[in-house]
Amino acid sequence: MIKQAILAMAAIAVAVGVAACGERPQVIEYKQGKYQGKPDTPPYDAAPFSGNKTEWERAVKTRNQSQNEYKRIS
Amino acid sequence: MLLTKKSDGIAAAGPRLRRVAGARLSTMDRRTFLKRSGLVAGAGAFASQLPYGTIGKAEAAAEGDAIKREVKRTVCTHCSVGCAIDAVVENGVWTRQEPVFDSPLNLGAHCAKGASIREHGHGEFRLKSPMKLVNGKYQKIPWQQAIDEVGDKLLALRKEAGPDSVFWVGSSKHSNEQSYLVRKFVSYFGTNNTDHQARICHSTTVAGVANTWGYGAMTNSYNDMGNTKCAMYIGSNAAEAHPVSMMHMLHAKETGAKMIVVDPRFTRTAAKADEFVRIRSGTDIAFLFGMLYHIFKNGWEDKQYIHDRVYGMDKVRDDVMAKWTPDKVEEVCGVPEATVFKIAEMMAKNRPSTVVWCMGQTQHTIGNAIVRASCILQLALGNIGVSGGGANIFRGHDNVQGATDIGPNPDSLPGYYGLAAGSWKHWAAVWGVPYEWIQKQYAPGMMEKPGMTVSRWIDGVMEKNELIDQDSNLRALVFWGHAPNSQSRGKEMIEAMKKLDLLVVIDPYPSATAAMAAMVRKDGVYLLPACTQLETSGSVTASNRSLQWRERVITPLFESQTDQAIMYAFAKKFGFGPEFVKNYKVVKPDGDAKWEEPEPESVLREVNAGCWTIGYTGQSPERLKLHMKNMNTFDVKTLRANGGPCDGDYFGLPWPCYGTAAIKHPGSPNLYDTSKHVMEGGGCFRANFGVERDGVNLLAEDGSYPKGGDLTGGYPEFDHVLLKKLGWWDELTDDEKKRAEGKNWKTDLSGGIQRVSMKHGCHPFGNAKARAVVWNFPDGIPQHREPLYSPRPDLVAKYPTHDDKKAFWRLPTLFKSVQEKNKDISKEFPLVLTSGRLVEYEGGGDETRSNPWLAELQQENFVEINPKDANDRSVRDGEYVWVKSPTGAQIKVKAMVTNRVGPGTTFIPFHFAGWWMGKDMLEYYPEGAHPIVRGEAVNTATTYGYDSVTMMQETKTTLCQVAKTTA
Amino acid sequence: MARMKFLCDAERCIECNGCVTACKQEHDIPWGVNRRRVVTINDGVPGERSISVACMHCSDAPCMAVCPVDCFYRTEEGIVLHDKDLCIGCGYCFYACPFGAPQFPQAGAFGVRGKMDKCTFCAGGPEANNSDAEYKKYGRNRLAEGKLPACAEMCATKALLGGDSDVLSDIYRERVTNRAARGTPSMPPWGWDTAYGRPEAPKQPAAPPGGAKS
Repeated sequence: MIKQAILAMAAIAVAVGVAACGERPQVIEYKQGKYQGKPDTPPYDAAPFSGNKTEWERAVKTRNQSQNEYKRIS
Repeated sequence: MLLTKKSDGIAAAGPRLRRVAGARLSTMDRRTFLKRSGLVAGAGAFASQLPYGTIGKAEAAAEGDAIKREVKRTVCTHCSVGCAIDAVVENGVWTRQEPVFDSPLNLGAHCAKGASIREHGHGEFRLKSPMKLVNGKYQKIPWQQAIDEVGDKLLALRKEAGPDSVFWVGSSKHSNEQSYLVRKFVSYFGTNNTDHQARICHSTTVAGVANTWGYGAMTNSYNDMGNTKCAMYIGSNAAEAHPVSMMHMLHAKETGAKMIVVDPRFTRTAAKADEFVRIRSGTDIAFLFGMLYHIFKNGWEDKQYIHDRVYGMDKVRDDVMAKWTPDKVEEVCGVPEATVFKIAEMMAKNRPSTVVWCMGQTQHTIGNAIVRASCILQLALGNIGVSGGGANIFRGHDNVQGATDIGPNPDSLPGYYGLAAGSWKHWAAVWGVPYEWIQKQYAPGMMEKPGMTVSRWIDGVMEKNELIDQDSNLRALVFWGHAPNSQSRGKEMIEAMKKLDLLVVIDPYPSATAAMAAMVRKDGVYLLPACTQLETSGSVTASNRSLQWRERVITPLFESQTDQAIMYAFAKKFGFGPEFVKNYKVVKPDGDAKWEEPEPESVLREVNAGCWTIGYTGQSPERLKLHMKNMNTFDVKTLRANGGPCDGDYFGLPWPCYGTAAIKHPGSPNLYDTSKHVMEGGGCFRANFGVERDGVNLLAEDGSYPKGGDLTGGYPEFDHVLLKKLGWWDELTDDEKKRAEGKNWKTDLSGGIQRVSMKHGCHPFGNAKARAVVWNFPDGIPQHREPLYSPRPDLVAKYPTHDDKKAFWRLPTLFKSVQEKNKDISKEFPLVLTSGRLVEYEGGGDETRSNPWLAELQQENFVEINPKDANDRSVRDGEYVWVKSPTGAQIKVKAMVTNRVGPGTTFIPFHFAGWWMGKDMLEYYPEGAHPIVRGEAVNTATTYGYDSVTMMQETKTTLCQVAKTTA
Repeated sequence: MARMKFLCDAERCIECNGCVTACKQEHDIPWGVNRRRVVTINDGVPGERSISVACMHCSDAPCMAVCPVDCFYRTEEGIVLHDKDLCIGCGYCFYACPFGAPQFPQAGAFGVRGKMDKCTFCAGGPEANNSDAEYKKYGRNRLAEGKLPACAEMCATKALLGGDSDVLSDIYRERVTNRAARGTPSMPPWGWDTAYGRPEAPKQPAAPPGGAKS
């Protein structure tokens, strides 16, 4: 009885262990189509950038400098 | 506090008023708007990047409606820094706000108030229609009825008791044009009984500083603090009161400037300082002169500067060396010699150094002397008229500087012209009305007598008639954009409110006045909804004297009208409508939905035509608008435009901007700066006090003059005689000659005298010495005097206050008799009670406490108390306590046990109102128009005490006792 | 482009709450929900420092790791967002987050009952950019407009920086270089002084009258 129980528990433990191996990685990388939630579009997707990533990056980078008062005060 | 989303309304408030009868314009909130119109994908994208003032292309909305999107450039209405805001308006609804990175004043930065100003475009808790108190409850009435009933009562009072029976409290929140109109309006009504917030904020500064060197304003700018090597904040908590100014200071600190904070509290400003010095409240003179002692002792004073440009420093020196030895300094203000020495050395060895002060210096019975002690310190160090130096006096409200300059002051006409017959004639000419006509509006002999002050209107109502210096007591009061809880002695105020015949509130918010009045009265109260500055256009003067033009963001909400429209309506009712708008274009910006009003641009043109004294003449609407469009071309540290359409101008044409707009004076970034030509904003100290005194020369010494001047020493102010003597008269045109004959630089309406003197590099107001001794004040050399309610009976004997005064601003004013009576009051009330600001709220707070985004951050009033004092009273942090006043008043606030205050000192912010001695006054507000956050007003508990020159109220040093509520 | 990050300069932050109300008005956030707040340590005594805190958009985000319904995702700019349609409002992320970023609005707020709400770096969520649905659930999408978070853009003293971490480090580097070369002693150049404390900083409130701040 006891032996059987131990064996059963061991089996369960193995099963659980194996299941753990099959678990998805804890940190989810958002990949279009893979993530279980709704898809999201990148910020440059819609107007006014209409998909032009370079243009968007340039706009954001330029705008970022307005947080830097050294650009205007020596 | 069950506050849920805006669109859901606030639990206690009832449903948000969407449509008001009579208001035909859209008043829907943003969510409603968004729901109806849908949001266009990417539509908001470049809205804020549209060029200033242009209208975005209408874009097709998802649901088919076209959205008209506009970006309006306005200026924050919450403090004197002058932060620009781009307001995005969609189909007439203010939907978003964007930072204006181009602004040289704020570079897009905002504090909690500025970042949430869009709420004012929705105003759920605004006063939405005119109301009348009927049997103790506010009832809606139509506008015309309100104008008629209030107008008739005022006319009846005027007839029966004289025009001086009415007191008009104007506002520092009015635009320049509106505040100027208020002064004109009350003059036409026939009284000088008018005032505004400046009385209780910086009146002592204005008087003390102007009498020292010429103009009573911040000498440099927030921006110029970037050039300082050492800044001493004494009586200023800029991190809470002027948060965006700290950007300039912290940047300066990062590049090498030192920062000192002297205050009874370890404020958030102190948290950023290199040195913090705790002084006892109200002992600034002891500390400042203690510093001066070390400066003189070590020979750190600027001897050449003092010789050339300062009168009376020798006398001050004798006084300081005799009276303010280190032991005396420590006895009075509690600071040991080593610390005082260290601070003096820091200020002396890191020049240019600047001094910053606010209400911590001004709101005392000796405020006028304290501010002069600061001036003297800066004069001794040669720091005035120097970039990076100066007396950086931070003003409070967004337009308190402008309202002080050209607004409703009881002792002066716009531009500090005073009340003498000559001044009246000057303005009568500008206004285009006969002097005699104005004279007839006044009661005989009252035209040249300064009126009462807002700090004392209570006594104007309550004082025995035989003791006041006018025929009738005050019987009607109009609060035109002013809170009641900012004035001291609240307990007596409520009695005065009870006694008035008529009380009128003209304000976007009903204000605590409405609730206080409804608590003690059954009738005789009217509430008239004015709109905010965001619903009209006009200019506003920041603390640094720069003017900015606000575009109108939206149409006045609900049934509100602009202040100028309300004023014009009353002017017509009083029978002086045509005289009031004689020089103005009258416009109706909203067609028939709102009343007609004088156009702000044309009012500013009249200001330009008359305010020669302080150079409000060159700031034409066109020039100001050009600056607003080209903010990016101005240098942040110097404020000067480098190229572009404003090339050479200083941002906002900081006054004085002398001469007509045509001669293009660039404005004066730093006052009294001899290193620049006067046509480049340079200057010198003003010759306003004669040319000599007791044989001592009061003019500047030879060799000290604004750069490039043809006169290389001191000279008196310019007038037609001096021009002729100098042989410059013929440089005037024929027309100028005709108008300048017999006039001086202040009264020559042609501007010729100013033009020619400046062409020769000479300052129109002369070139003189600053006065370290202001002989026309009660204490020519500033003297420390203990407050009327002093925690130190031993020092009252050594430093007693002034004698009582009779007929001072028309009222008997007590000093010594109050102090004597309360000599031992500190046994019963041992804690110093001082008050101040919080970053989330402004002034009396009715507007900001009605803004849910701000209200959430400060939900209850509190008293800061040191752990020792708290433990001595078994008071725990966060529990309600009673703060008891010697007046018998007691207020219920939460205890905040903190080391921010030292033992023996308590602090309560002054923005709260809506509770009265433990009771919530909610039921007394008009329905749906109560502030979200209500609390006890500290001024319910403050005591008697007024400055000996300006009637500034003492709110910074009085006494109290703190007790558990259960006890 | 590197990841989007926030950086709060504690030597600059004056606890003015501008970031808090900028956020609240931009997204119409109700009472009780604070996507961003200002935290102050040593309040009222020498050594007082404040810092503005919101979701830090962690690269290895604990919220994301623990979420039982897998509603979080990270955009290619490194912004951690979540899907409110998927969120069950269990609060596990609340438990996991070291910054107290997740917020749990009352019913009705943001159009969804009981769902978790947090800072989106003004980048909306999994709905069409700048759509009505996105605005109602997640607030504005400033990033899609080429703008940066409202809180950082409106900061009173430019203490709070928000944007591409590569640019932020340039901005911050210029500041600390200036502090090191020219700044006053009370403004330590390097952030770790602030993060870990200075040995000489007083631990106990000690502010006798006239006492000078270290």
